[in-house]
Amino acid sequence: MADENWIEVGSTDSIEEEDLIRFDHQDKTFCVYRLTDGFYATDGICTHEAVHLEDGLVMDDEIECPMHQGIFNIKSGEALSPPACDDLKTYPVKVDNDKIFIKIN
Amino acid sequence: MNKKIFILGGGQSALYAAREIRKNNIDVEITILGEEKFIPYERPPLSKDFLLDKRIDEDLYFCSKETLEEEKINYLNTIIIKVDFENNILVSEDNKQYTYDTLLISTGSKNRKLNINSEVDDEIFYLRNLEEAKNIKEKALGKKNILIIGGGFIGLEIASSFSQLNKNISLVEVGNQLMGRIIPNQIADLVKQFHEEEGNKIILNKTISEITKINEKYKILLSDNTEIMSDLIIAGIGSTPNVGLFENTKLKLDNGIVTNEFCETNIKNVFASGDVSNFYHPLYTKYMRLESYQHAQNHGLCAGKNISGIKTEYSSIPWMWSDQFNLNLQLTGICDDYDEIVERGKRIDDGIIYFFLKNKKIKGACGLGIAGKVGRDIRITSKLTEKNTIVDSSLLSDQSQKLNKLIQK
Repeated sequence: MADENWIEVGSTDSIEEEDLIRFDHQDKTFCVYRLTDGFYATDGICTHEAVHLEDGLVMDDEIECPMHQGIFNIKSGEALSPPACDDLKTYPVKVDNDKIFIKIN
Repeated sequence: MNKKIFILGGGQSALYAAREIRKNNIDVEITILGEEKFIPYERPPLSKDFLLDKRIDEDLYFCSKETLEEEKINYLNTIIIKVDFENNILVSEDNKQYTYDTLLISTGSKNRKLNINSEVDDEIFYLRNLEEAKNIKEKALGKKNILIIGGGFIGLEIASSFSQLNKNISLVEVGNQLMGRIIPNQIADLVKQFHEEEGNKIILNKTISEITKINEKYKILLSDNTEIMSDLIIAGIGSTPNVGLFENTKLKLDNGIVTNEFCETNIKNVFASGDVSNFYHPLYTKYMRLESYQHAQNHGLCAGKNISGIKTEYSSIPWMWSDQFNLNLQLTGICDDYDEIVERGKRIDDGIIYFFLKNKKIKGACGLGIAGKVGRDIRITSKLTEKNTIVDSSLLSDQSQKLNKLIQK
């Protein structure tokens, strides 16, 4: 039985490589990414202004906010370029039977 | 003795240059000479979240005083009244002298002012800095009818903010479209329509003939003899490079300080960055002067590298944004040199972008969408423009197709 902290996001083929999907759970929004070396997850809202990162551009290991081009490292959450200055929270991800899970708590 | 680097001007470009210089040099003295009592702060929120009380002064600083101290970047609040380029000396209003080895000029730009009549000219408000934003916020308290003169980014952002505070807005623009200096008319028309749907009155093709103060109100007569009554007048009619200090010196001026692609002026060891610089852009092979957040930052970083001896060409594709209501407008490149226009999207909710192409290469694009709906495609467009990529316009116009596939790695 799966650990109850792991939340199912969807199937692995629901995300193209170097892309992301938005995942809403309870009252929170997350982004789940497929990079060349695996899947990753962060908070879904930019730390600069309240805008969804789902419309942002994924390039290599970085997500760029679609509104003001703040850039974050997807793996570490580190804010790399202004106007973003606060880091993005990241979450553990695992794949089991072609399904993606993220650990939210 | 350590090399002394002075940065004239205390804005975004100055700060990014200072931090870049420090990153590359441990043992130089870096001093920013700023005319404002505040350490460098973000200006974009002044016309938006600051007026709306969503952000306060402390939220606007790029970094804390402690960070500046840790990085040994001095910030001096002083007004420089003379630059002696022969002897490398800056003279302040309080008669202090500062001798530099290298000088970076990042004095930005200043507001154009209206000249209507002496009775009211001093009562027209402008918004460029934090002090002016505080002043406008205070004056607007309890006022209902606000006249905004000028339909550029700043006027429209103030109109959006005060509309959200339930004030009645009239905005008068002399041109035949909003944001006419840089934004294509297709997007300007959508913005106009959106403001009007939110209740703002947008008046194009009119000038101010007369303003009369009656008790605490203003009667404004427009060029077509219509009258508007207002409690507060704010103008945003553009800006000019802040170069008064350098007139009649050997520093080369032409619509700002003329610099090459390395932020160098015609004087050895004197650099310029940001709004004040009319710089040579190697991709567009022409000189340009830009006033935007991205440019202030990146040009400052580039100047910092060049001052540190890391020869770096500045070739960023221009990019700027404006947030009005829940709309986000973005512009990349230059939209006035094209032989084909391609439209992508039909609804603001999903984002609408107009691409301007020449010889099948994108020269510029402008988009409008709710929140960040156009951001990704505009960003991809910047990359395509930078790489001079030939693009298939049928793909650009099809919103169901992702543009990522156009980027060649």
